[in-house]
Amino acid sequence: MHLIAQDLVNGILAGGILAVVALGFSLVWGIMNIINLAHGAFIMLGAYTTYQLFTSFHVDPFLSLPVSFVLLFALGYLIQRFIMNWVARAPVLTTFLLTFGLSLLIVNIALNVWTGDTRGVTTAYSGANFTLGDVTVPWAKLFTLLAALAITGVMQLWLTRSRTGRAIRATSMDIGAAQLSGVRVTEIYAIVFGLGAGLAGVAGTLISLSYALNPSMGDLFLVKAFVVCVLGGLGSVPGALVGGLVYGIVEAFATQIDVTVGGQHISGSGLQDAIALVVLLIVLIVRPTGIMGKATA
Amino acid sequence: MNPATLKRIGLGGITGNPIAFAVVLALMALLLAIPLTHNGYIELVFRNILMYAAMAYGWNLIGGYTGYVSFGNVAFFGIGAYCSAILATHGVDNLLLYVLLAMAVSAVFAAIVGFPVLRLKGHYFAIATLGVALAVTDIIANLDALGGTGGLALHQVDEAHFSIYYYAMWLVALGSMLGTYFIARSKLGYAFVAIRENEDAAAVLGISATRYKIVAWTIGAMMAGAAGAVFAPANGFIDPSITFAIDSNVFPIAMTILGGIGTVAGPFIGALLLAGANELLQRFFVKAHTLFFGAMIVLIVLLLPRGLVWLFGLRGGARAWLKSLSVYKA
Repeated sequence: MHLIAQDLVNGILAGGILAVVALGFSLVWGIMNIINLAHGAFIMLGAYTTYQLFTSFHVDPFLSLPVSFVLLFALGYLIQRFIMNWVARAPVLTTFLLTFGLSLLIVNIALNVWTGDTRGVTTAYSGANFTLGDVTVPWAKLFTLLAALAITGVMQLWLTRSRTGRAIRATSMDIGAAQLSGVRVTEIYAIVFGLGAGLAGVAGTLISLSYALNPSMGDLFLVKAFVVCVLGGLGSVPGALVGGLVYGIVEAFATQIDVTVGGQHISGSGLQDAIALVVLLIVLIVRPTGIMGKATA
Repeated sequence: MNPATLKRIGLGGITGNPIAFAVVLALMALLLAIPLTHNGYIELVFRNILMYAAMAYGWNLIGGYTGYVSFGNVAFFGIGAYCSAILATHGVDNLLLYVLLAMAVSAVFAAIVGFPVLRLKGHYFAIATLGVALAVTDIIANLDALGGTGGLALHQVDEAHFSIYYYAMWLVALGSMLGTYFIARSKLGYAFVAIRENEDAAAVLGISATRYKIVAWTIGAMMAGAAGAVFAPANGFIDPSITFAIDSNVFPIAMTILGGIGTVAGPFIGALLLAGANELLQRFFVKAHTLFFGAMIVLIVLLLPRGLVWLFGLRGGARAWLKSLSVYKA
């Protein structure tokens, strides 16, 4: 019983990070139809921004959240405006390949700047935790979850209430109609891609609190972002949150599997990806547009 | 763009530009001579190019011709490699048997998995195939009988006959290329393209979309499986991280797009260029080669968004090319 409660809490805590990891990826894919393979590289840059601010200037990781967001937003905005915009109307595979190239480029610049050494951001409260009954909760992860919830809430409000947010949603619904209504699509695309990168930066900062850093750290999270955003529903902000939590919980429970069948020892900790992906397949077959997705996609 | 439009603007029919295909066939003939003049490192480089080409052809059938973008084709490559390894650990030492078993197992696996997965469309199909690849990787890494994460060693032929692996890979690549050519020209190819252009319209015309999608996916799987079957003994050792490497998943896709998607020449040209450039950059820039590699991909996408093969059919020279660049601009 205690194990089940602990797994549930671990899953929810991990799911919060995954939600932010997937949010930017999901927006860019859902709104611009770009599968951004550089998303993992942006996450890595966000994490290293926090690392650099923390080691050089002793800035608390949570305080570096806005810095990561602004820096990565600027980078994403410029990349879309001056590079990606050239192939904005090309088939999805063209931009897919372009972001693959960009990702290689960014990761290797990082490799030359920070070397391949594994690094970490260790704050005074890194190891601190509290217990609730039998369940242990690390403070850093709890704050990370709260930050993730807050970011998701702000994003949802901004997209539905603000003028720019409405222009973004209009563009994703019908690019021609949006243009006729006076939406500057080039600008909106640059903002969305910037937003995607900024959110990746924020995710990177949150990740740096509980995971080790190295220039290729983004790959792992890119795959998870893929799964989470499809699980929740492409381009949907609440979908990313639900998808992230579901994925986190499934993965946490999967690690507990430990059986032996006919001499073959099966341990869940090695199979967590496989189990999470089987869940994804089942969700896709039952609900092909994701948990929070709309009926027509 | 449909095949008729492509032909009208000088970009070839359903198999792509015929000049490009002729050039590729000539290059293939030249590659036959590599082991005679070079061995060791150069032979390895070209064997890898042929391997990637076969995988790219496998991807091109489902991703290029049928328009279903798969991120899971590496699973078939891995399954092929493990088929060889299993046979090898049971004392079988016959390259032809390896390839035949790998093709059969890949095909059966693809058909079974394809049934639920190919019902999904677009992004959802892409993610489901990625899931299949990752799940297969995880499962193999956890099966003690297949060596787990420790991998399996395979018996190799002696050094004097080592080029047999090169020729085997050459045959696999040639088979994939010619297979693509004849499939594209047949009723199958036209059904694939019809599904890509408009699946509903294809269904109205009496094309059973599900059946043809599974055929495209299964034949593609056999190409990747065959490449894996030759790779395993040629490499002498396989484990999950080698056989299911990210490179083996992304490279064939990148090569097909760079070369020219939905053409017969494209995957080979892409493989030659990308794998070749990767090797050269690695030799000259030990530390920063991936940086240049990434920059190269970015530049090619921006300058040739339709793939290199399109250059063969381009009418109107540099001006037409410059004009074509702004077509995709927002």
